[in-house]
Amino acid sequence: MNRSRRGLRFPVLMRTCGGIRPRAMAVLGAVLLAALVACGGRGDAGQEAGRLTLAAPRDLAAGPEDPYFTHRTLRVWEPLVTLDDRMRPAPALATGWEHSDGGRRWTFTLRGGVRFSDGTPLTAEAVVVNIERFRRIAPRPSAFFSLDAGMEAAYGKLTGVRAEGGKVVFILAEPVADLPARLADFYSMIQAPSAFKADGDFAGKPVGTGPYTLVSWSKDRQVELAANPGYWGGKPAFDKIVVKTIPDANARVAALRAGEVAGLIDKGALLPGQVAAVAADGRFRITRSPSVLTHYLTFNASRKPFADPRLREAVDLAIDRESIADKLLAGTATPGSPFLSPIFGALSDPGVRTAHDPARARELVGAAGRPAEPVSILISSSETGQFPYADIAEVLRAGLEEVGLPARVNVVEATKAVMEAGDYDIFLSAYSVPNGDPDYLFRRFLRSDAAWNHDRNLGYRSDVFDRLIDRAAATGAVAERRELYHEVQRLLAADRPMIPLAYQDNPVAMSTSVTGLAQNPLYLVDLAKLAPSR
Amino acid sequence: MTAALRRVAETLLVLLVLSVLTFLLTSLAPGDPAEEILRRGGIQPTAESVAVLRGELGLDQPLFSQYLQWTLGVLRGDFGRSNVDRAPVAAEILSRVPATLRLAGTASLIAVGLAVLVSVRAALRPRALDSRIAKVATVAIAAVPPYISGILLISVFAIGLRALPTGGDGSPGAVILPALTLGLAGTATLLRLLRADLAAAARQPFVKLAVAKGLTARRTIVVHMLRVAAPGAITAAGVVLTELLAGAVIVETLFAWPGVGQLAVAAIRQRDIPMVQAYVLLTALATVLVLTLADLCVSAADPRARR
Repeated sequence: MNRSRRGLRFPVLMRTCGGIRPRAMAVLGAVLLAALVACGGRGDAGQEAGRLTLAAPRDLAAGPEDPYFTHRTLRVWEPLVTLDDRMRPAPALATGWEHSDGGRRWTFTLRGGVRFSDGTPLTAEAVVVNIERFRRIAPRPSAFFSLDAGMEAAYGKLTGVRAEGGKVVFILAEPVADLPARLADFYSMIQAPSAFKADGDFAGKPVGTGPYTLVSWSKDRQVELAANPGYWGGKPAFDKIVVKTIPDANARVAALRAGEVAGLIDKGALLPGQVAAVAADGRFRITRSPSVLTHYLTFNASRKPFADPRLREAVDLAIDRESIADKLLAGTATPGSPFLSPIFGALSDPGVRTAHDPARARELVGAAGRPAEPVSILISSSETGQFPYADIAEVLRAGLEEVGLPARVNVVEATKAVMEAGDYDIFLSAYSVPNGDPDYLFRRFLRSDAAWNHDRNLGYRSDVFDRLIDRAAATGAVAERRELYHEVQRLLAADRPMIPLAYQDNPVAMSTSVTGLAQNPLYLVDLAKLAPSR
Repeated sequence: MTAALRRVAETLLVLLVLSVLTFLLTSLAPGDPAEEILRRGGIQPTAESVAVLRGELGLDQPLFSQYLQWTLGVLRGDFGRSNVDRAPVAAEILSRVPATLRLAGTASLIAVGLAVLVSVRAALRPRALDSRIAKVATVAIAAVPPYISGILLISVFAIGLRALPTGGDGSPGAVILPALTLGLAGTATLLRLLRADLAAAARQPFVKLAVAKGLTARRTIVVHMLRVAAPGAITAAGVVLTELLAGAVIVETLFAWPGVGQLAVAAIRQRDIPMVQAYVLLTALATVLVLTLADLCVSAADPRARR
């Protein structure tokens, strides 16, 4: 009885027969392991002769229902205007542009000798077809860059676009000083008219003018590109590029370390916490380049306590931006001071400096009076997976408590609803400017009539600010515009409706056997510049 | 026959209730999908563009008529279009089903195979070192969350030994690591049940009789005891299979396996409501079907269940 309780109750059976021998198990295990190793035997598939395999967190092709079908990074299509690494409009398919009639008429000159990958030439008429298609199908969701309703964000009040003597002319009802910047990249994608059906959907594969063409694509698995032999800029170094989709951040790094892919590209390729480990591995190089993404703190100034500017200043002084950028964001970010990050070049005002001064902050809290309730720091649960927002919010909380402002952290899914209900004091989130135009940021976020400002209870009303950004948007003179934006940034540094916390870089990784990795502020890696290192 | 009809009616009722819940839960979830879509595209949306897109997506209709339209569509096999890239949801999911079935199928083979092997071995030689090690190891590995065991397997077999790919389904061997990750998670449940059932079977008089007649241990266990243990094991296998289908969500994401689970994760992340609704409803349907099938198998294997 006492013995049989431990096993099954048939001692006779156990004595008479051994059953499966222990050795058999061991042999089976060894065979399995050998089989595993044997069916492997693969070398580095990441890079073979003329062929390169990369990985990205998302699918960079989205299918014929998408207004763009492929992401700009794949270099299948090209825009009229692109952005340089200072976010200034730069020539792409348009070699130059000029405006007349006070900014109501813009004429774009096209690059000569360019052909689409189907062999047809790039003409002004083809450009018009593309712009009119965009206006017809908006609003249209996209996996990459949605087309807004009305398209005013892109083209201003556009009354017509036409081909005149081989050039493309945009005619606007009201002047727009920065049309080329607004058009940059996605809004001025140009493909052969034959690529589209009558309803604006794709008829087949995208037909662009870029250095690569789309060979095949399987949704959420991989995109296969081939070099375009007729590319106007010369044939790229790799004949074939495969971009795999690997959504999980750990799995992406694993694929890199296993040699399955030679590099990780695109927005969020590496999480801030992964950078150090990958950089320590001599087989890879990490390229950190400044991006359009900036982490901001937004204040609810439509209610106590932050209706009081002294307390907003106290928060500004209580934040240790250095340690947040260096430690929590693992050096992938730099501390924020002017509202526009240095990526805006001369438009960013270097004169605006922020300080970390807890003593002064404590005085301000003392003068303004300590709030009765702890202030709430709101973060979105969907963003905590991308950035260590939970940790940053805790550091902010500690910093605020140190200067006499008790705080609590509030992590929610639907931050929009919470903000609209006005039930928050500080909101931590990151924003980008997809076309490099500061007006985009100021007008949509902070103008007195901006939907964001209004619906989210920012409570920012400044006639001076409104006048300044309106003047800046209408002026075509570079120096004047710069001066106006510097003034805007000094005003924002004093008023503090939102304060920049850190300017985020986007780290990408590449095997040392590949050279030419460059990334622009919009996370675009130029695939055509990649080449095997000799 | 009436029993079968009753079963069908029950299933339909369950599905109706599920459809209402699915629709309500995903539709009433906080956050505005129209705004999310525009914002993800890099645009801070204006009130006008949100309103236009809401109209285009049918979100401005009263909830009841949204539900009615959705249900009528679903009955025709039309789950609507993705909010993200406007692709038809039904086709998207269907194209992913084979990959998920391949993964879940291989995983259940591993789970059932390991559980039967280890439990039979343990029944034969409960105190042998190897059966103890196997038992402890299986339970220990299965107790680790699939995400962690997956990363461990990747580190050892993909990065360390370079024997298998870290993900994707580009080569025949690619299914091994994700299936192993998923299968190990199911093994523990099955193993525990099977061991208990085998132990109970061993106490049956006819097993003692079989042993007394001089039948070999292997034959006694495989023919007689496993047959007695089968109904419980089949029911458990059904439950494990539904768990595998659900668990595939994490494993598919980790291994970039192009199945339905990965699609669901992406859809949830992007608030692609039509996709999430279809996923939840189809998963529920699959669960109901698998459990019904398990019941049918039990009654086929065990005459007592038919009474």
